[in-house]
Amino acid sequence: MTFSEFILRGVLAGSIYVLLAVPMSLLFSTVRTIDFAVGAYALVAAAVAASVGGVLGIAAGLGAAVAGSAAMALIFLLLKRFGCHNHIIYALASFGVATALASAVLWQYGTQSFVRDSFSQFWSLAGIRISPQGVLNLVTALVAVTILYVVIQRSQLGRMMRAAAVNVMGSELAGIPVELIQVGTYLVGGLLGGIAGLLILFTAGLDYSAPLSLTLSGFAAAIVFGIDNPFRALFGGLAMGVAEALAAGYTSGMVTSMVPFLFLLIVLGTSRFGDATVAGDRT
Amino acid sequence: MTFWANHRNTLIAIAAVLIAAPFVASRPVWLDSAVILGVYALLALSVGISYGQAGILTMSQGAFASVGAYAAALCSARWGWPPFTDLVLAMLLPAVLAYGVGRVVTRLSPLATALATLALGSVISIYIRHADDLTGGYVGFAGIPAIGFIDTPLEYAVLAWLLVIAVVYGYENLMRSAHGRALNVLQQDQARARADGIDVARSMSAAFALSAAIAGIAGWLYAHYVSVLSPESLDTNISVTALLMAVVGGAGYVLGPIIGTVLFDTLTRLLPAAELQGLFYGLALVVILLVARTGLMGLGEQLIGAARSGLGRRAAPAAGLPARAAS
Amino acid sequence: MTGPAFDTPVPPAAADALVASGIEVAFGGIKALAGVGATVVPGRIVGLIGRNGSGKSTLFNCMTGFVRPGAGRVTLGGADITGLPAERVVRAGIARTFQTPRIAEGADVRTAVLCGFFNSAKTSFMGSVAGFGAARREERRLREEADAVLEGLGLADLRHTEVRRLSMGLVRMVDVARCIASGARFILLDEPAAGLTQAEQETLSRQIRDVAARGVGILLVEHNFALVRSLCETVVVLETGRVLCEGAPETVARDPRVLRSYLGAVGESDEQGEAAA
Ligand SMILES: Nc1ncnc2c1ncn2[C@@H]1O[C@H](COP(=O)(O)OP(=O)(O)OP(=O)(O)O)[C@@H](O)[C@H]1O
Ligand SMILES: [Mg+2]
Repeated sequence: MTFSEFILRGVLAGSIYVLLAVPMSLLFSTVRTIDFAVGAYALVAAAVAASVGGVLGIAAGLGAAVAGSAAMALIFLLLKRFGCHNHIIYALASFGVATALASAVLWQYGTQSFVRDSFSQFWSLAGIRISPQGVLNLVTALVAVTILYVVIQRSQLGRMMRAAAVNVMGSELAGIPVELIQVGTYLVGGLLGGIAGLLILFTAGLDYSAPLSLTLSGFAAAIVFGIDNPFRALFGGLAMGVAEALAAGYTSGMVTSMVPFLFLLIVLGTSRFGDATVAGDRT
Repeated sequence: MTFWANHRNTLIAIAAVLIAAPFVASRPVWLDSAVILGVYALLALSVGISYGQAGILTMSQGAFASVGAYAAALCSARWGWPPFTDLVLAMLLPAVLAYGVGRVVTRLSPLATALATLALGSVISIYIRHADDLTGGYVGFAGIPAIGFIDTPLEYAVLAWLLVIAVVYGYENLMRSAHGRALNVLQQDQARARADGIDVARSMSAAFALSAAIAGIAGWLYAHYVSVLSPESLDTNISVTALLMAVVGGAGYVLGPIIGTVLFDTLTRLLPAAELQGLFYGLALVVILLVARTGLMGLGEQLIGAARSGLGRRAAPAAGLPARAAS
Repeated sequence: MTGPAFDTPVPPAAADALVASGIEVAFGGIKALAGVGATVVPGRIVGLIGRNGSGKSTLFNCMTGFVRPGAGRVTLGGADITGLPAERVVRAGIARTFQTPRIAEGADVRTAVLCGFFNSAKTSFMGSVAGFGAARREERRLREEADAVLEGLGLADLRHTEVRRLSMGLVRMVDVARCIASGARFILLDEPAAGLTQAEQETLSRQIRDVAARGVGILLVEHNFALVRSLCETVVVLETGRVLCEGAPETVARDPRVLRSYLGAVGESDEQGEAAA
């Protein structure tokens, strides 16, 4: 395989990271926390879609993923009602949701790997064999990011979202429904995580043990170029896909599997991520 | 008398173990569970020190335990070290690793630190999976010898709970020292801690290293007891479970993690299917975060406080169980 | 950036003095400090006064490593400590209180004061875990010393009270105790008397004088001018990030600029008119 082939494959594979990274970035902007269950939403969507099958399955899968995120959003709201304003507690709760969802899948469907073939033929681009599914993944990711871009930059809702992300107190005073926006962000996380899960289902597949590393990959992609901007997540996801493809091509399997985690460690170790954004958080 | 005042938790742990001992010793199956429970209790305690005291939401305790476990396996089975000498390496290796990583990641926000521990744990477990020569890769490692004369489940159970008690004792010592107080302060308010002259990153890293060493002890014990290891033996799942146990029991209290461990273990036995374990753990975590963020120990303390004031009695000075009210 | 001419000469800077000079700090567009200096000599109490927002706390933050000044130097006995991290500054012998006291939840008064002893504890982290005789002896010693500090501030009876149950005034006293506990050679107190009763203020002044008499240099931010006058030999007056004037309390109190800027703002419109004339 050639260098350009690795790049191309990396870009296609990275589109899934994009879908996982965008919700991380959105949630971090609006709630300043992490939803560890995003990977679990992906698993739930894939498992349900695989077992139901067909277009109905896809709808059911997305529904299940959004339902999972709705549960998380409800817990978030309850925590807030009970006077918890600690972002690490929200993250911890999402951890519980992730564990519970993965266990539910394990209980219902066992340890099987969820994987479906979509296209049997491959396309060829300048001599490089590429799978149509990969292209579909990339297109989906681009469409999702574009829609988000339009919503956030152009609509009234987007303006409110940006305001809420920058200044919660001020936005509340200005009558912006901050809490509603935060809940909405959790739900968008469910939807995007679900879409990612479906794409994975038709690409490499996944099993009940996947969620946590999916979440982590998404987060790694989200912070590479700065977490506060969902559009940078696009490039972060693609960059991570490329890094992984290059690692697969030129290094060992070990390094390849470590790529997302090393990405994360290196970015965290070199950036001022904590200082600038949530440094005051350790209350 | 002062020992009682300073080491309430240790004495309570000793008493509980002594009370449970006759019942447990009467059934071989329970003895086996007691060893595994001891391993989990050590892991949960390690989370208590890291998260409950230093505020590092750690998700790498399973990985540290597996480093300890493989160290034990290599030293005893392959290199023929005498019994117990491998414990030093099993503690030192994770501690050094944790300290090094801690110095970098504890400068970050708590969330970022948590993610970094998760990533670190994943890197370690991937390494173990791929380092065929050292760890046996996916196949694993078999034939790990017993620890010298310690051979029967009874002896392992005694060892396991002696270790738990020793850790509780050391934990209590720490919390009654300047370093323990420093952890309490920096967890709540880093600026305050710095004004006291506390090097935040250093203190947190030291606590993280201690917690990793304790996880290493758990792994050491596990390896020798079970005698086989595979990458799945002590994976991220174990890290998560230990974290949930500690939080549900009360991570800020010395004995909280042990309470959580015992509770989870008991309730797991009542579950209809083993696969449901994660569902139950996750729900337990969510429920405890909603109703009592300080865990069962915190809830207990509140209830006792309420009962006391309800009876109109003067509240006793806060002492004993909670680590942070060391007076 | 030099301030206006001083009315009285600055006390001769001892070799072992804490000196801030030419400090500049900007937060975004706002210049919080534009070339401010202050000198604290061992055994002396220096007052730092100025209207709200004049930069007193910011100067404290610069001198204790919490804010890195854009320009200027902080030296301790001649050694440059500008930009040293806060915890290292404390180890160098400079302790501070916060204007809004920062008190750990759930801690009792003695525990809070014990926290101040962090630097004088010699036992290592692992030594504390092992808890051998030396560690236990040290802990006992620290407790005795903490009790002695509390005794001096008249807080001994509150030893086992939770800090958050105290009045704001007493919380500030505990904070002062914590500073004293650190054994610092220089102590920076940010409005320690705010919210104290008359009797508590007297205890506090006595204690501050005692501490100074032991050779500790004190920089005191305080709005209560009577208290400043009774304690300080020198007063530095800040206005919007500049030193307005500096000198003995009596001199400063008579300075028209001060009357206009600071005391005038407290409500003496007569004097404001006088000064303008
Ligand atoms: N962290 C910060 N970010 C932005 N501006 C700040 C910050 N800290 C202080 N300032 C500004 O710097 C100026 C000086 O503030 P400072 O707190 O030093 O005043 P002060 O003299 O202590 O006032 P007070 O008597 O109210 O305590 C003020 O205009 C304040 O708004
Ligand atoms: Mg101030």
